[in-house]
Amino acid sequence: MSLKREIPTTTLSGFALSGLLVLTILSILLQNIPNKIQTAGNALLKLNTTEGVANAVTTVVVYFRGFDTLGEIAVLFIASLGIGLMLHSNTKCNIKAESNFMLQTASRLLFPIIMLFGTYVMIYGHLSPGGGFQGGVIIASGVLLLLISHKAFEVPHSVIVALETFAGVSYVLIGLIGLLVLDVFLGNFLPHDISQMGLLLSGGIIPLIYIIVGIKVGSEMSMIVQNLIKRDYDV
Amino acid sequence: MFEFLNQPEVIKIIVTIGSMILFFVGLFGLLTRKHIIKIFISIAIMESSIFLLFIGLTFKIDSIAPILDSAHKDVATMNDPIPHAMILTAIVIGMAVLALGVSFAIEYFKLTGKTDIDEMNEMRH
Repeated sequence: MSLKREIPTTTLSGFALSGLLVLTILSILLQNIPNKIQTAGNALLKLNTTEGVANAVTTVVVYFRGFDTLGEIAVLFIASLGIGLMLHSNTKCNIKAESNFMLQTASRLLFPIIMLFGTYVMIYGHLSPGGGFQGGVIIASGVLLLLISHKAFEVPHSVIVALETFAGVSYVLIGLIGLLVLDVFLGNFLPHDISQMGLLLSGGIIPLIYIIVGIKVGSEMSMIVQNLIKRDYDV
Repeated sequence: MFEFLNQPEVIKIIVTIGSMILFFVGLFGLLTRKHIIKIFISIAIMESSIFLLFIGLTFKIDSIAPILDSAHKDVATMNDPIPHAMILTAIVIGMAVLALGVSFAIEYFKLTGKTDIDEMNEMRH
């Protein structure tokens, strides 16, 4: 037996290299720990009250960085498109065997509740923790529950196409209307009075955009889980 | 006994060192594992260490979530919303990249039956 086989060179060199890299990053980070990190956030929180939205994270995601969120859902759409391109199969088979009675009954009971909770998280994204991304992923988890409990279940493709087209087009349309009315892309052209803060109908376009993002993320994530779970079984 | 842990500097140092340990675990797996799914899992671990670093660096003792209402109007006691929003973006992008990479790996395995990255030499010939 040669010496090379006894010493785990890959492990040792990987350990040394990654340790060196991490120590370098760590020393840079420890020398530059920010002390006054809060000031930018305070300014944004004060600015946040002008939009009449209670949840400041929602305002940052949808309003101050709204164009970035548009690019983000575009990235998610491209990923969903790529997964559909790679893993598309014509079989209508989710799982190898029929799942048992308890899972089928429980999924029938749980699916409406999961959908309701996802919609709630989506619609109340400007008032409470949550929002479009979180609500969309919760809805996709409900779809995943149906996929693993029913052998032949399939999300209707036409519904997904309609929802994604509606969501993407209306996001851009709302941005363009803001451009026409206020000379700012994604400008808040609907009434957003500070006195309405905390109510469901407050914040102008911000809850609308987060609901649109939720619809888009929910349909894209549903397609991703469906494409990942479907495969050709030798039945 | 552990009151010194409540100082903001100590919290920041603990968060930095801890997240970098997690980053080291991910980087080590990325460099030494051969299975392609394990490499994607290592990338996910590295991503989560960066999320923890961003959220942990802006953490303050006794601060509340940045949700304004009639009872909570003092913005000085609230957490910074910017890292939360940025990490929300980063989580979604990381999920998209991970799902796309896993789908590439699944398709490659269907075509060739290989998962070891040392054997992936079709482009070499």
